[in-house]
Amino acid sequence: MAFLDNSGDIILDAVLTDTGRFRLAKGDGSFRIVKFALGDDEVDYSKYDRDHASGSAYFDLEVLQTPVFEAFTNNTSTMRSKLISIPRTNLLYLPVLKVNKEAGGRVQMYTIDATNNTEAFLVAVDEDTELVQGGGTQMAKKAGVLSGENPNAAGHAGISKIRIDQGLDTSDIPPAFQLDSDLVEQQYIVEMDNRLGSIHNPEGPGLAAVSFIDDDNVASYYLSATTNPLYVSNNDNTKSDDGTQTIAGPRGTVLEFKIQSSLELNTSTTLFTKLGATSTIEGNCFYYIDSNIRVTGATTGYRIDVPVRFIKLKAAGSC
Amino acid sequence: MATTFKTLLNNDIASTRTLLHEAVPITGTIVSGTYSDSNIKNFSHGMFQSVYDYPYLSSSANHIFDITMGYSTNAGLSSSAATQNSKKINIYNQMAQVLMGHDADGNIREFDRDGDLLGTTTDSMRECFFLNFSRLLVKDEIKKGSFQLTVATASAYSHGFDGAGELTLYDTDAQNSYRSNSPAGEYGLLYTASTFTSGDHTEQAVGQVFYQAGVIVLTSSIFGANPDDSDSEVEVSNYWGSKEGDDNDTYSTIKKAMYSGSISGSADGLRNRLKNVQFNNTTELNSTIYFCRANHNEFNYSSNPTYVTGSKMRVKNVTSDSPVSYITSVGLYSADNELLAVAKLSEPLKKTPENELTLRVRLDY
Repeated sequence: MAFLDNSGDIILDAVLTDTGRFRLAKGDGSFRIVKFALGDDEVDYSKYDRDHASGSAYFDLEVLQTPVFEAFTNNTSTMRSKLISIPRTNLLYLPVLKVNKEAGGRVQMYTIDATNNTEAFLVAVDEDTELVQGGGTQMAKKAGVLSGENPNAAGHAGISKIRIDQGLDTSDIPPAFQLDSDLVEQQYIVEMDNRLGSIHNPEGPGLAAVSFIDDDNVASYYLSATTNPLYVSNNDNTKSDDGTQTIAGPRGTVLEFKIQSSLELNTSTTLFTKLGATSTIEGNCFYYIDSNIRVTGATTGYRIDVPVRFIKLKAAGSC
Repeated sequence: MATTFKTLLNNDIASTRTLLHEAVPITGTIVSGTYSDSNIKNFSHGMFQSVYDYPYLSSSANHIFDITMGYSTNAGLSSSAATQNSKKINIYNQMAQVLMGHDADGNIREFDRDGDLLGTTTDSMRECFFLNFSRLLVKDEIKKGSFQLTVATASAYSHGFDGAGELTLYDTDAQNSYRSNSPAGEYGLLYTASTFTSGDHTEQAVGQVFYQAGVIVLTSSIFGANPDDSDSEVEVSNYWGSKEGDDNDTYSTIKKAMYSGSISGSADGLRNRLKNVQFNNTTELNSTIYFCRANHNEFNYSSNPTYVTGSKMRVKNVTSDSPVSYITSVGLYSADNELLAVAKLSEPLKKTPENELTLRVRLDY
């Protein structure tokens, strides 16, 4: 993963990704390039200095000197931030995605380390973990803990879900303003490690349909407002201070989902010992695996990583 | 509508075929001297000898070519009394049937000096040395007209290459004249002259170079008194030793060496007389070129998390400022949005509504 030589002419270093080679080897015609996107993964736009004392020629001097990595062959490691085509040039604000932690206990994240302010969604991977008492409350009923075995079962079921809000996160424009229709995200791509779990309906039974699983076991789900209205819905809340919204300005859509733990995590500790460790949470000892769920707006390209910790009860009491 | 992908149209995709050539020089010191033969691998079956570019026990070593020899059942040397007679015939027949094929009756064709299989039948090369080059060097094929081999034909083994009877063989004018009647592809004839006499040249071929197969066939006659002699029998009078210090495998003539000596002994004899082998290889690159065109009103914004603070763009102060983005990567996608190939620019390229860019991404197969 060296840098490319940028001392001379501009060169273009192209490689097939592991998925590309896999599809080429299959020989079934699935290797067919039909579209392209442009990316700027290495660029740190905070280095763009619009107020540079020496004038506009110096605004992007540091950005243009950014060294660029060689091409990765791992399909999930590259093209993480894409350039966007919007015909208008008069935009000053772009929509973003944010984890909503404001809308009550249902969507709060669990505070893992209050000192360092680290948060994540916990997924209890089996019923023992869901039902174990932690601080006088069942784990599954704690804010920020998702029920991995029984995502929506009545009774002991967890109440938490993951909610991502989209819109203009600025107080310069009031939320009562409608977000321009071309900036409203209608489809989301959710990627997660398929060995650990699956995306589950936020309100009812059933798993979301997997679009494909790549060679690294990363499953991709395409969830759209048209075909998955339980997952993607319009955010009609235009209030600015009711304490349930994380987007300060005009709002677009909301993505909600739960996580069902995989059978392997549910029934075995193999992956926990291989990929994770143990930790004391709420007075009990748990195995855990830390992972991320990546959510990308299919239209606007904005992406966030949602931290998730899969936990499994090891023993009552501290580790 | 905001978009991040752009569909490639038919006129954005082009296919090309390019021939890439590399010069491959093999000096005599590498094949006999530099590594005191620790780069030479002999096998217990004794049917050929492998030459590496470094001591072969090292993982850094690359196999560069094999040397072997054989003769036809019709050769004067063929006799049940000859050492490794069956193996020598086996090698000759194997090479001949792969490189020259069979006649209408299913008989293996012998190597023919002038490549005219239907003409004279008395110019067969029945006692031959074979140099089989590794695909690492040859790649897709040897470039026609580029092959040269320099060998000492009159030196004793103990002297190594001393230039005695130095002979350089060329696939003279092969780019204009070569044979295509082999089942193993095209081949050219090796001559001792780098250029032909004008008109119908009278030079006799002394071997063949099979371009796609990467095999050199040399008649053992080059070690005889008159390399241009068309007589198919071996005529030798020069001392031909084989393995240095191995008196049991050292002979006074090549005829005796080919008859009484081992295959690896004869391979030693040829290898130690090599001064230089050089050719250009050819790699056939089939490429698809994708012209990724970014028009003035496309790709001017970014989804990079640092592009905005809150939701406000860092690159604009007021709405009338032009947006700007910087391209470092080009991703090529399938219809289901799987990243199939990726290209990286060596430095960021500025994209604004005031410019248009066409990035030419070439994938070689």
